Amino acid sequence: MTGTIHSLWTTAADSATPLDKIPTPKIEYAQLSPVLIVFGAAVLGILVEALLPRRSRYIAQLGVSVTGLAAAFAAIVALAADGYASAKSHIAAMGAVAVDGPALFLQGTIVLVALVAAFTFAERRLDPLAHGRRVDSFAAQGSTVPGSEQEKRAVRAGFTTTEVFPLLLFAVGGMMIFPAANDLLTLFVSLEVFSLPLYLLCALARRHRLLSQEAAVKYFLLGAFSSAILLFGVALLYGYAGTISYGGIADVISGTAKMTPALANTTANDSLLLIGGAMVVVGLLFKVAAVPFHMWTPDVYQGAPTPVTGFMAAATKVAAFGALLRLLYVVLPGIRWDWRPVMWGVAIATMVIGAIIAVTQTDVKRLLAYSSIAHAGFILAGVIALSPDGVSSVLFYLAAYSFVTLGAFAVVTLVRDAGGEATHLSRWAGLGRRSPLVAAVFAVFLLAFAGIPLTSGFAGKFAVFKAAAQGGAVPLVIIGVISSAIAAFFYIRVIVLMFFSEPQPGGPSVAVPSALTSTAIAAGVAVTLALGVAPQYFLDLAGKASVFVR
Amino acid sequence: MNPINYLYLSALLFTIGGAGVLVRRNAIIVFMCVELMLNACNLAFVTFARLHGNLDGQIIAFFTMVVAAAEVVVGLAIIVTFFRSRHSASVDDASLMKL
Amino acid sequence: MNTYVPILVLGALAAGFAIFSVDMARRTGPKRYNRAKLDAYECGIEPTPQPAGGGRFPIKYYLTAMLFIVFDIEIVFLYPWAVSFDALGLFGLVEMLLFVLTVFVAYAYVWRRGGLEWD
Repeated sequence: MTGTIHSLWTTAADSATPLDKIPTPKIEYAQLSPVLIVFGAAVLGILVEALLPRRSRYIAQLGVSVTGLAAAFAAIVALAADGYASAKSHIAAMGAVAVDGPALFLQGTIVLVALVAAFTFAERRLDPLAHGRRVDSFAAQGSTVPGSEQEKRAVRAGFTTTEVFPLLLFAVGGMMIFPAANDLLTLFVSLEVFSLPLYLLCALARRHRLLSQEAAVKYFLLGAFSSAILLFGVALLYGYAGTISYGGIADVISGTAKMTPALANTTANDSLLLIGGAMVVVGLLFKVAAVPFHMWTPDVYQGAPTPVTGFMAAATKVAAFGALLRLLYVVLPGIRWDWRPVMWGVAIATMVIGAIIAVTQTDVKRLLAYSSIAHAGFILAGVIALSPDGVSSVLFYLAAYSFVTLGAFAVVTLVRDAGGEATHLSRWAGLGRRSPLVAAVFAVFLLAFAGIPLTSGFAGKFAVFKAAAQGGAVPLVIIGVISSAIAAFFYIRVIVLMFFSEPQPGGPSVAVPSALTSTAIAAGVAVTLALGVAPQYFLDLAGKASVFVR
Repeated sequence: MNPINYLYLSALLFTIGGAGVLVRRNAIIVFMCVELMLNACNLAFVTFARLHGNLDGQIIAFFTMVVAAAEVVVGLAIIVTFFRSRHSASVDDASLMKL
Repeated sequence: MNTYVPILVLGALAAGFAIFSVDMARRTGPKRYNRAKLDAYECGIEPTPQPAGGGRFPIKYYLTAMLFIVFDIEIVFLYPWAVSFDALGLFGLVEMLLFVLTVFVAYAYVWRRGGLEWD
């Protein structure tokens, strides 16, 4: 054993001048520009917070966020048009970040979702005026104790937490790297970069601060726990392969890597690989809210400020599924016979449990949370297919699902009573009679969740199940269709409740939003219908972008 | 000494941390257990770096330290605001939302 | 072994000097005790009284400690860079400047928003 151990210090002493041998790293700034633009905008946002007077911060932050996200999207489109999504796709930044089809497609989705989410973050017409000032969904001052004199002073002074915009941008930047990460260290760091701002955003609700803080504590403790598990998995995989790059580990698994004595020693036993891979996958399954790692989802979705919930539910899922796809397709295809049965079990449990528990929910936000769990199960079915069709169907499903989710949560912010948002389902009874437009829009989103034809949800589910069936997972598809039927039951129930029951006396009112939230909801409806009516163009787009670079 | 022993120690520390997260009730203690898990990862990284004779593991340990520090700052901020509004840091008191 | 003799001699001299000074001060110095001398030693500042209610500290400590940790830990990246500064050349310098600049943005935020004020 000891003979195989290299001593770093003796090898360093052997070579005369080891320090001169560091090759200068090369960073392809142009290919990383989408991420760099978003992070630059976030840093600019911090400077805005530091240097501008309080009253001009809101408009400046909104401008910086929207400009930054739009510029990042333009950069992504330019890269894709330049062929980086197909022919020129390669690995940038010394092996740390992949620039390829899936990465660019998911980054584009995340940036668009974030752009729409920034509008809902900026909405200031829903809450009643606080001391003559328009306020948004976020706490006047995050550090104050709810109900304290200090908080009242902050509200009177008209404070607002405009830091939510830089936090949003940092989260977006992390999410953009996450599906593009091409080594395990980048994976871990980007996971933390997008998780930490989300933990903070969860704690910042203006109404129901106690719920919001509780959600943040739960999300943080469980999130930190899961990322520690992921990190230990990274350590074990590194121990197995002696490298953290995706391609390097895949080479070691397939046996094509150059054997060294140390490598022969660590690869002699597969337990490092199996346990390490399992722990990394568990960390990712936590982020996509797959059963049995879903326990945080309902509480966090319910407690977080609704615009944050919408963003988190949509964008986190896109980023985490992207990372899961790349890990399973690039690093671990060599042990697919080991992970596929397990993922089968996870997918089945996620679909069934998500759909069944959703039926019993009485709160709109919790209902949407369980529905997002069920959808994670459907997407997992596409992941398991392990084929190019599987990748493209998952990409399409993620794009479709994220806009539906964002729109649905934006509608939830509109239905309000004296205590803020009225999220209890009984309060939504008869909404269709009082405000037909809002109820109709919400019905469109629910139908898309249920997978009714002519909505994006149908096209997505069809593509995913088709890919899974072709991949040999027919029983999985059957269970998926059954759980979609169960899920459709509770979506339809909400629609029936809205349109066919008597409005409650003293029920909630529907706030008239500004152009910001209206734009967000309109974008959601437009994408839902466009992807539902003419899915082929977008499926082709996803199909073209479905090859991972190695 | 055989480096494998450090891996055993690392796994042991990780398990202690994981068990602590699951059984302890004070949010601060739970959080300290998470930090213990991260440190166990660091030990595994540097041990593997020595086994393989490359520096990757040592570099990752640096990154883990920085990430852990950022996590401490964010986490304590959240736990402190939680504590100030409830005068308790017990995770059992975080039950406004039903399970 | 010979190379270590000067160090041993230096150590012995230092220890001898320390013992000698303490002993001389004790024998010859005046002994006038007052409140400040009997207080707990806290790096030269006024000792902080034990807070009421069983050992809770004001939140200001938390803020300062957190800021310290965040900015302190950045050194972890500066140190390896400084060691291989020559080999990395201009590229390393530019990247490290960008990194330090980002840290300074955070510093500017903390400073302007009153995070460094004790009261």
